[in-house]
Amino acid sequence: MSIDFYWRLPTHGCHATIRRGSYDRGDWSPLQAGNQTPGLTASGEDDGYRYIDHLAEIAKAAELSGFIGGLIPSFPNTDDPWTISPLLARETETFRFMIAFQPGFLDPVHAARLSASLQRATGGRTVFNIITGGGGPSQLWWGDSFAHDDRYGRTTEFLDIFRGVWGGQPFDYDGRFYQVKGDKLSPLLAREDVPEIWFSGSSDAALQSAAKHADYYLSWLEPYEQITDKFARVKERTAQLGGEQKCAIRVDLVARPTEEEAWHDIRTGFENVSDATRAQWRGQPTDSVGASRQAALRPTEAKRWDELVVGKNLWGGFNLLRGGPALGIVGSYEQCAEQLDELIRRGADAFILAGTPHLEEAYRIGEEVLPLLGRTAAAQPLLEAAE
Amino acid sequence: MTIKLYWRLDPAAEPQRGEPSLRPTAGFLPRDVRTAGLTRYDYYAQVARAAAITGFDGLFVAYRPESDDSQIVAAAVARSAPRLLLVPEFPSTVGSAVYAAKEAVSFQRATHNRLGWAIAPGADPDDSARTAEFLHVARGVYGQKPFDHQGRFFEVKGGGFSEPLSRATFPPVFLQGADEEALQLSANAADIHLFDNASLDDLRGRVETLERLALAAGRDVAAGVLVTITARETDAEATGRTGIAGSYDSVAGQIATLHAAGITHFVLSASPSLEEAYRIGQFVLPRVRAGQLRTAA
Repeated sequence: MSIDFYWRLPTHGCHATIRRGSYDRGDWSPLQAGNQTPGLTASGEDDGYRYIDHLAEIAKAAELSGFIGGLIPSFPNTDDPWTISPLLARETETFRFMIAFQPGFLDPVHAARLSASLQRATGGRTVFNIITGGGGPSQLWWGDSFAHDDRYGRTTEFLDIFRGVWGGQPFDYDGRFYQVKGDKLSPLLAREDVPEIWFSGSSDAALQSAAKHADYYLSWLEPYEQITDKFARVKERTAQLGGEQKCAIRVDLVARPTEEEAWHDIRTGFENVSDATRAQWRGQPTDSVGASRQAALRPTEAKRWDELVVGKNLWGGFNLLRGGPALGIVGSYEQCAEQLDELIRRGADAFILAGTPHLEEAYRIGEEVLPLLGRTAAAQPLLEAAE
Repeated sequence: MTIKLYWRLDPAAEPQRGEPSLRPTAGFLPRDVRTAGLTRYDYYAQVARAAAITGFDGLFVAYRPESDDSQIVAAAVARSAPRLLLVPEFPSTVGSAVYAAKEAVSFQRATHNRLGWAIAPGADPDDSARTAEFLHVARGVYGQKPFDHQGRFFEVKGGGFSEPLSRATFPPVFLQGADEEALQLSANAADIHLFDNASLDDLRGRVETLERLALAAGRDVAAGVLVTITARETDAEATGRTGIAGSYDSVAGQIATLHAAGITHFVLSASPSLEEAYRIGQFVLPRVRAGQLRTAA
């Protein structure tokens, strides 16, 4: 048994420490002393480094410390994964670029060409995180006005065509959203493997689409009983629909030599959260089922850091410390490994991990946590099952 | 106005170069130690570096549906070819104009604003209208927030980039075509209009038309030419070739003549791309630039 561990490239800047919310890596904060990519020269000028140089460092760190690749998120104020991936293709060797994108961004035949070209540029290191949820004002920002269930219908059609033209034979398709006649990839391009497809979305419309096209079903971390049920439901429902889903979890870790050190960093980080940050994350409108589940934690209303301890080594306030999901794992290296083993026991087949700062934590988690996996008490049932 | 000289990389040209699937397998005597990690993209990167080393101002990447995508190639070579403007050619049918703009923002941020866009003409009757709207929307989300648009091909509400993405500059836009519709589109929406090679008189006439239409639209649009080039040590070695052809001196002279006719951007191509980039860069570009200095003096 082996499990794929991905890291994450932060595409909205990064912090030098989880203890403070300032985006001092990248240009999402003003150019000033102490900032990096861009930073200042000794004479006080822009040093010419750009955020891509920092992302290159993170990708290389993840690659060297044992991660298979990294998720590259896509939001209105992030750098773009379709641009980042080819920019870094020739500076990495094994790092897989997991591109987050919405079908509405690209024509499906063009997307297939782009993907095959990127496969050729990377030696088959392209992975997709197809995003269909979201909705509301953010969807219109992208120029996309489909309603929720229609968007999954469109995702299905998009992927039907994406795979269809990959067959090398002229492909016809007459769908509600797309029509294609006689399109195909050239033999040079069609030789490449179709990228692995990761899917998100908990609604039944999402699962129907996933059953047809997804290799992995990706969820943010949720309370363990909840995510166990969810994975069981996903695997059962997609099996009914004729698909086979592996399940994956995206989660942040604060892993330290001791549990006390880990909680100390969380506490310091919590106490440094500004009212402006709370206001920013409070009640952001979305129609995504996954985002609603996380919002039920209401971390923006917590008065003390320990109000958000929702289980052993589980903290529900990460979204106050950096953009993204609320629930994450906090503990010693052994405890973090134990939590991951427990999640594997509960049905996780792969992970996207992250930690702040992303560069240094890639090494720390790669060196200190990943080697412990499969050796903790939580892993015993797994080992017995494998025998 | 200063001459700008670009090299044009065609992903479909010299198809065997660096192509792992075309390496000989049976009957190849030399011990072959090339790994799977050596790919066609190493060749693309070599051509780009060759253009940078030999003094070109930029690299065009041709749109070839049957081969590697121009935008992927441009990004894949960008970090190893410093200084060059990178200009992928692509049609306006690639997808959302907002998304294309966002990809461009990241490219600009990562490369100190070294991206150009060459919108390749499409075959369908809506092509010109769609390209115009594509550029309107892409420029709109770059320059305004909130940006709203409801058109035939694209729809945006509350669009536009925030800091720091909004600080990126919009890529210079190259459009092509010889007919009046193409020139009108360029007058309204291009920064540089590229002509195919034609007789000097024809080109003069088209440049004048372009300038007239651009003036009426209240815009500055530069003229350029997309042309194959054959440069050899002697005129005799280049006889029978189309495009710009002749000895190094002669070729530099023909470029100077086109420049005098109002052409300021030269997108040059020849095969094989690597050797010819070196040849043109080493022997022709210095002559062109020396000629410009003499003219200026």
